[in-house]
Amino acid sequence: MLNEFLKHLFPRVVLRKNLTVSYTFCLGGLAFTAFLLLAASGLLLLCYYQPSPGTAFNSILFLESSVWGGRYLRSLHRLASHCFLVLVFLHTLRVILTGAYRKPRELNWLTGFALLCLAVFSAYTGYLLPMDQLALWATQTGMELVNSSFFDTAVRTILVPDGVGQPMSLLRFYVLHIVFVPLALLLLSLLHFYRIRKNKGVLPYL
Amino acid sequence: MAKPDQSRRKFIGTIILLLAGVFSLGRFLSPNVRQKKTLLSVAKADLPVHGALVYREARVALMREGDVIYALNLVCTHLGCTINVTPTELVCPCHGSSFDRLGRVVRGPADRPLLRYLVEERGDFYEVVV
Repeated sequence: MLNEFLKHLFPRVVLRKNLTVSYTFCLGGLAFTAFLLLAASGLLLLCYYQPSPGTAFNSILFLESSVWGGRYLRSLHRLASHCFLVLVFLHTLRVILTGAYRKPRELNWLTGFALLCLAVFSAYTGYLLPMDQLALWATQTGMELVNSSFFDTAVRTILVPDGVGQPMSLLRFYVLHIVFVPLALLLLSLLHFYRIRKNKGVLPYL
Repeated sequence: MAKPDQSRRKFIGTIILLLAGVFSLGRFLSPNVRQKKTLLSVAKADLPVHGALVYREARVALMREGDVIYALNLVCTHLGCTINVTPTELVCPCHGSSFDRLGRVVRGPADRPLLRYLVEERGDFYEVVV
């Protein structure tokens, strides 16, 4: 059954020209690979992370010192998130420079932009979770930036109801980081991929 | 025998990968939880207000300065001899390093202060925990 599904997922024929690396540089696909890597490593990190201000940092220390492969896995997650952001930005740049946002691909440009924002937001929410000094003050900086926008109170009540680094806001960042943002990323990506085939991206037929 | 059969090789490869994955996951999910070990327990009444109890076998000195209670590891930080506790200072018999009552270095060759153990209060006892 899986094979059947995969057979339908991939196109029957493609143009040789469209498969050359310089056509898209595979940036979107690489970004999605980074996302899958993030999901896998993040799933394992969930086994040790404790989302409360008192225990979060200690759980990270425990993970790094007493768990086999813990430090490796955490580095992998962090590195993959850097790669994800870089790849997503490069992909956006490629789309802009090749004019791929034009008709008939407007919808994909919009979903792509939403994906870009979600990627940044997931990185931002993930940044607070270790609860070290860097995490805390970087998040504080982000929240101060929000202050200068005109919908600041709404954002602050939703994201940090009791201040950066307090129990409730840490929990919200955590839930956003592990459930809502990844889910939205995944669903939008699927739409994104569907539109690629609909817009006859690398396909001569359909 | 028209087609060479690749499925066995693939099967074995998959099994090996699967076993390695399960093994790694098992290692990852079984952390090294350090069990706290009680090195010694001392009745509160035994500890003088400005004094020390020395346990040469366990290489620990339980010290008390009024309300402050701490346990010094009597292993010299120079080369690991057991330190002698005198009323004024702690002296290493091997190379003459000496430490004050808080474990700070007074005279070399040792260059780091003595390590301390955690002291926990349990009922009528002080317990030195590793």
